[in-house]
Amino acid sequence: MQDSTIGRRGAIAAGLGAAGMLAAPRLARGFERDGNRKILVYAGGQSVPVLDPHVRYDWSTRMIQQAVYDALAKYVNDPPQIVPWLAERWEASPDRRVWTFHLVGNARFHNGDPVDAEAVRYSFERGLRLNKGVAWMLKDVLPPENIAAVDARTVRFTLTRAMPSFLTYIPMWYIVNPRQVQANVANNDYGEAWLTANAAGSGPFRIRRFEPQSIIHLDAVPDYWNGWPMGEERRLSGFIYRIVREPAARRAMLQRGEADMITEIPADDFELLRRMRGMRPEDHRGMTTFAITMNTTRGPTADINVRKAIAHAMDYDALIAIHNGAATLMTSPFPEQIPGYIPVPDMPRRNLDLARQFLARSAHPNGGFELEYVHVQGLEDPRRIGLALLNSLQPLNIRVNIVAQPWPTMVARGSRAETAPDMVSVYVTPVSTDPDVIAGKYHTRAHGNFWGMHHLTDRQLDQWVDAARVETDEARRNALYADIQRRVVELQPEIFGMLANRRWMMRDYVRGFVYCPLRLTGEIDIHPMWIDAA
Amino acid sequence: MLGFVLRRVALTGLMLFGLVCITFTVSNVAPSDPAALAAGPDATRDMVETIRREYGLDRPLHEQFLRYVSDLVQGELGRSIITTRPVAQDLARYFPATLELVLLSMALGVVVGVPMGMVSAVLKDRPVDHATRFLAVSLVALPAFWFGILLQLLFSVQLEWLPTSGRLDVATPPPPAVSGMYLLDSALAGRWSTFRDALAHAVLPALVLSFPCLASILRVNRAEMIEVLSADYVTAARAHGVSPLRVVCVHALRNAMLPTLAIIGLRWGWMLGSTVLVETVFDWPGIGLYAVSSAIAGDFKPVMGVTLLIGLNFMLVNLVVDLLYGVLDPRLRASA
Amino acid sequence: MSMALGRPSFAERHASAIRQARFFAWSFSRSPSSLLGLGIVLGFLFIAAFGPWIVPYPADATGAMNLANRLQPPSAAHWFGTDEMGNDLYTRVVLATRTSLWVGLTIVGVATLVGVPLGIAAGHLGGVVRSVIMRLTDVFLSVPGIVLALAIVAALGPGILNGIIALSIVWWPGYVRLVEAKALALRSEPFVEAARAVGASHARILAVHILPNCTSPIIVKASMDMGLAILAAASLGFIGLGARPPAPEWGAMISVARTYMPDWWWYAVFPGLAIYLTVLGFNLFGDGLRDILDPKTNRG
Repeated sequence: MQDSTIGRRGAIAAGLGAAGMLAAPRLARGFERDGNRKILVYAGGQSVPVLDPHVRYDWSTRMIQQAVYDALAKYVNDPPQIVPWLAERWEASPDRRVWTFHLVGNARFHNGDPVDAEAVRYSFERGLRLNKGVAWMLKDVLPPENIAAVDARTVRFTLTRAMPSFLTYIPMWYIVNPRQVQANVANNDYGEAWLTANAAGSGPFRIRRFEPQSIIHLDAVPDYWNGWPMGEERRLSGFIYRIVREPAARRAMLQRGEADMITEIPADDFELLRRMRGMRPEDHRGMTTFAITMNTTRGPTADINVRKAIAHAMDYDALIAIHNGAATLMTSPFPEQIPGYIPVPDMPRRNLDLARQFLARSAHPNGGFELEYVHVQGLEDPRRIGLALLNSLQPLNIRVNIVAQPWPTMVARGSRAETAPDMVSVYVTPVSTDPDVIAGKYHTRAHGNFWGMHHLTDRQLDQWVDAARVETDEARRNALYADIQRRVVELQPEIFGMLANRRWMMRDYVRGFVYCPLRLTGEIDIHPMWIDAA
Repeated sequence: MLGFVLRRVALTGLMLFGLVCITFTVSNVAPSDPAALAAGPDATRDMVETIRREYGLDRPLHEQFLRYVSDLVQGELGRSIITTRPVAQDLARYFPATLELVLLSMALGVVVGVPMGMVSAVLKDRPVDHATRFLAVSLVALPAFWFGILLQLLFSVQLEWLPTSGRLDVATPPPPAVSGMYLLDSALAGRWSTFRDALAHAVLPALVLSFPCLASILRVNRAEMIEVLSADYVTAARAHGVSPLRVVCVHALRNAMLPTLAIIGLRWGWMLGSTVLVETVFDWPGIGLYAVSSAIAGDFKPVMGVTLLIGLNFMLVNLVVDLLYGVLDPRLRASA
Repeated sequence: MSMALGRPSFAERHASAIRQARFFAWSFSRSPSSLLGLGIVLGFLFIAAFGPWIVPYPADATGAMNLANRLQPPSAAHWFGTDEMGNDLYTRVVLATRTSLWVGLTIVGVATLVGVPLGIAAGHLGGVVRSVIMRLTDVFLSVPGIVLALAIVAALGPGILNGIIALSIVWWPGYVRLVEAKALALRSEPFVEAARAVGASHARILAVHILPNCTSPIIVKASMDMGLAILAAASLGFIGLGARPPAPEWGAMISVARTYMPDWWWYAVFPGLAIYLTVLGFNLFGDGLRDILDPKTNRG
């Protein structure tokens, strides 16, 4: 346990008007100090129960994993680009089945071991064999035997079929130190128990204090092999991620200077905070799609006319109003930034006459039935969207029963067509720029996963998706994906909602924030960040 | 005496078994699927099944019960799916925080309630007395979660005298762990700035938690004090011109001790239960918050673990209070 | 002239009962806090009964949406302000009173219906029956109400009905304890022994002698429990395991309102005040009842 040279900040009274719309109270001085360096404090609502990069990922977990580990490549910027990281270059065979990566020469793990091809091979094998977390991305195309450490700095992957998008998944596979992991194996678990709370990485930060449900304190690695973009004098001493479940408490922390940056900010709070002096909002177009998935095999929603009617009765403007304007309506099942995106003509918008026409062709021309709408317990926005849905369907005489359920219950129910709810609200963030991730949502293989709760079965769609996956010619691929998008809108398995903006609020002395839409929810890249203040 | 003790202990054991049956029954009514949570948002179906097998969720019911009971005897409470740690480990980690809060609340209840009750009795039927009695009734009626939010609003956000949540500042490392209770540990280690920080964080939650207990203690002490004040020896002392203050206080305190003890025993369990609400409001990492987060996420073993722990704790406290009563009140001992 | 004695009037036949009732009413009215409690309880009942007719925006409790009007502070048009969907908060708080009333009544009703017979059986019959019932009661009482209710609701899922089931399961043991003590004491009373000696059946003894003498503690406890049951249900709602939207419920409202503190404070303040006043009213009322029905227990 290190002893503390960290100073305490002073508290300054900052009054807040009861009506809340008054601007510019004096803000408490922020940021922690550690000697003559600074520590960035970030408050978010989600815990980090498991640090193991091959077992689990969600936004808070990935943020810490990205800081403590490295991968062969890294996603940066908006629109997202893949830049070399542990691998300095790579090439693929013309049939996109054999991928070869050449590693940099100076990468080292925190304990001094070099990051060599064997470490890469071991890490991928570990991920595949544990069959959790990121395994789903590659397990159908990459048997562990097909990974070869050709020499100390070269790794070759031989896939079982062509996969043009292989590279897009690479940034999510982190490299662990085989020697450290093997030294801590218990019961043949591949070191899983140990890696839950410890790290064997090479990244720009190391763990100082790890309390999964309350606070994670990282120390910067001064001689990080890939250097510090802001320069050695200005880099942080460390980073603290503080888990604070209530949005109001996070806001209070930001205002009092207890945190430098917060995320998952309710729309109304955001408006309030952005008016304050000393605050800087970050507001970006997101890639997370929101849809109300409908069960296409059972109940009234099995009838496409009912689905079309609902889609044309939905008040889409309410979706934007609930986000205070910080969202854009989807113009296709694909987010705009995905390659192959086309704006689909006749995307449903609110048109009560059309809705009534569709309903008239169904078995319930005058409505008179009830649908269940399920959303994740505790989330504010889907709850309000449910209320908007209820309101929208009243003119059609369709009742909506809003049900909040814990995530595991939702997923369990949705995994089978007989028990999947009539309507479920689902957020999906693509983890790579591979269109197959989104197109695959509507393939039969999606059944049983949370993104496939519609249980849609369309032979034509399956055919197109399978073909596009292995198509190496870009023009033909894009044509296939255009067909796929049009067909999905035709079949209307979901009410296509909006892409909510990703927002953060930070103090204006925070620098180096780089937005990348492929990061999940509140995830940020800590490496380039620093604090510019005396 | 020994017979009394043995009987009470055996009874407690029986009640514990009854509790285990109840918790097991309840946990098997749950329709949620915890395996899906553990597998993560992007899991495929077979990955969920792997996890389900790992956690033993696919066995028939009676097999699960036998396994449950034998596990409990060995201190094995299952594994939390959210934290992926054994529930027993989580409980050991979070219980000291809750214990600290409850002890502090009890102390507040006694330290504030006893004098207030006595003062109220001395000034009987005057405005102060009425106000105090009204306060006592109010404190029971106040929704702890609502009032906690209001206090947070006033003291943390408006006045900024106290921190909003948690046990310590971000920057303050916890004191070396002896009991897990930060106030005690930092005092033992001589870390007084940590002590002050921990105290500042604990004040509001302990205060809110203490209200109903405070109200009961206040009433009891007032009642006892009234009786003592009208006793013969007090009137006699006054007639002789002697200030009866000390005599009165000593007598009243002594008489009130037993009922106060009974209240503490009664209220202990209630307080442990209320931590569920108070810890949620103040983000206090104790077993109450642990139970709520698990309940909301459909993670069942932790909720059962917390229920068992609180039940056991309450039974033990009741046992101790009963035994103490037996020691202090000889009438009970004779009849037992 | 006929000297036949006519049948005495109602007032004459029940003279002693009427006298006692008048005495009770007079005693009760001597205490300002009891009157306050009575006033609040009556107000609560009135609002619950006539709620839908006295609120300005009844549609706001069934899913109306008025996003342009959201989070407005209290004003002449909206006495308690509006919530995040633009609904009038005063309407929702008032209509939630109905929910609270039937929740409280159901929980206390079920608890009494289950607990009282068990308690009487335990106190009167004694022996093995008593042991079994009391041990079972003790087990249920060993876990604090809210924790057991949390566990049950976590198993069954959110929703008011499940909350009521959970809380009823938690509440009945209290009545068993209360009634058992009283029945046990009554067993050794002379009139009960006399009835037994005469050969009266258990049922008759219970119905005619035991039960009527238990009613006053039951009534006192039931009135205080109304408030506490409502508070417990609101607590479950606060945790997020209560009523489904858009149905108004005080605890659920406070739970959502937390996100909007402190700037939109009215959202949390008014539902909380409603809970507080309701529970306070029932507590004061129950206290007052206890003072007149059971004056021996000087609880200060």
